[in-house]
Amino acid sequence: MSAPFILLDARGLEPPEPMVKILEALVTLPMGTELRAHTDRRPMHLYPFLEKRGFNAETTDIPAEGFVTVIRRST
Amino acid sequence: MNRSPSRPSLAGSPLGQAPDATIPLRFMMLGVVSLLGTVALLVAHPDVLSSYHYNQRVVAITHLFILGFGLSVVSGAMYQLVPVALETRLHSERLARWHFPLHHISVAGMVWMFWTWNMKEVGHFGTGLALGVGLFVWNLVQTLRRVRGWTVVSFGIASTLFWLVAAILAGLAVAAAKSTYELVGRMDIPALLALPLAGLKATADFLAQFEPLGVMHAHAHLGVLGVFVLLTIGVGYKLVPMFLLSDIQNSRRAWASLWILNLGLAATFLAVLLQSRLKPAAALVTIAGLALYGVEMVAIVRARKRQSIDWGLRGFLTSQALLAPVALLGLWLARPGLVLDESVGRLENAYGFLALFGVVAFAILGMLYKILPFLVWFVAYSQEVGRAKTPALHEMYSTPLQAGGLGLWVAGLGTGLVAIFLASPPLSRTAALILAASLACFIVNAARILSHLVRPQTRPFRTPTQAAPSPS
Repeated sequence: MSAPFILLDARGLEPPEPMVKILEALVTLPMGTELRAHTDRRPMHLYPFLEKRGFNAETTDIPAEGFVTVIRRST
Repeated sequence: MNRSPSRPSLAGSPLGQAPDATIPLRFMMLGVVSLLGTVALLVAHPDVLSSYHYNQRVVAITHLFILGFGLSVVSGAMYQLVPVALETRLHSERLARWHFPLHHISVAGMVWMFWTWNMKEVGHFGTGLALGVGLFVWNLVQTLRRVRGWTVVSFGIASTLFWLVAAILAGLAVAAAKSTYELVGRMDIPALLALPLAGLKATADFLAQFEPLGVMHAHAHLGVLGVFVLLTIGVGYKLVPMFLLSDIQNSRRAWASLWILNLGLAATFLAVLLQSRLKPAAALVTIAGLALYGVEMVAIVRARKRQSIDWGLRGFLTSQALLAPVALLGLWLARPGLVLDESVGRLENAYGFLALFGVVAFAILGMLYKILPFLVWFVAYSQEVGRAKTPALHEMYSTPLQAGGLGLWVAGLGTGLVAIFLASPPLSRTAALILAASLACFIVNAARILSHLVRPQTRPFRTPTQAAPSPS
């Protein structure tokens, strides 16, 4: 059974707005919940900040739809 | 649904490793100072636009513009954008830090020596510039080697690096050809000096068989078309879709545009150097590449998901549209048997002015409005995201001032062209003053952007859950 998740659609935004939306959303992310962030581009600048703030990320390229990055707290 | 997992874990990931943002910022700031110097020299010496361009002042001002402004901003932007665009990390920040003083000290020396027409010293400072460019090219080539598979963007960047090396070597050869060699053949100079001197004299003897104006024009085409136009096209294929939320519409067309442009540039270089009757054919090949680029860029813009186009991108796209009149003027000037008289000389000046101040400067100023706020925002606010409200990029500068400044640049271009055709120094000075006013708008906005480094403008969130997305 997959973990509960919160979906964040950050498409249609110009950098760095997707990163801002995602990092702001992580502040209120409940324990045990994943954040699934949908972006137009691979969130290149986001990864180092996630690592510093204790999160793991996995990005999947969905052709014609963008990228989905699944973010969860590091164990 | 076809999914391709690509980021298994963040641990140890090389992603997001764009270099320290102060490195590109330094290059960009000194680049803008050089553009200010260029425009100030045009105001002080308006005759450079109204007299034929083969004189020491024009050569000095052109190198201040191309190397001090263009190559400096482009170097800084490439240090920042290439790792991000190609999803890898910069090979070495240390090399980039060494490149900075080498580049700017060398350019200052070169421009000064061009002004006094001391070609030996131009060659010495030019060697320093070449060392800096060598560090830059090595750094980016090593960065490109990390990328698996070629994309149209990485091919555009690699092409630019190739032509940059070619342009610098051609420039050094021109400096060698215009120097004198009293020491060659003397027995009392050390062997360590005798060998390079003999090499330089051999280079000078080789170039002596070509017409000097053809050599200079061939070198100029390598620099402007090979470095700046190819780079704006290669990077444009990444940045324009990125900012407009679009995609390359026809990959084959994009690839073809770059291959044909590379071919056209090689042909143009040889045809101009040799003053060949095949110059129009070379120009037509180049124009075919530019036309394909234009068609692809229109398709990208039409397919955009974001409807509004901001002023920075409008500036960039306008600069790319100006490639059309520049290319047609180049084709007209490539006609065989064209006699260099006063009117042809003015057209040549217009061709260079429109290429430099229309295509190159406008593209760079437009893109700087995209890159500079982002870099400063990243330095000033990226650590604060999620902890406090940070300003949006467009809140960091004045949009009316930006629009006014870009409009003034177009007005300065138009006035400059009229001044060239009328060979009028007073009108040339007016054009330079309009360009200076435009640049002042940019500098005021750049100062507003940079002020965020000194006085960050974060605000507390109203509620702790203000940014929470909807649960699924």
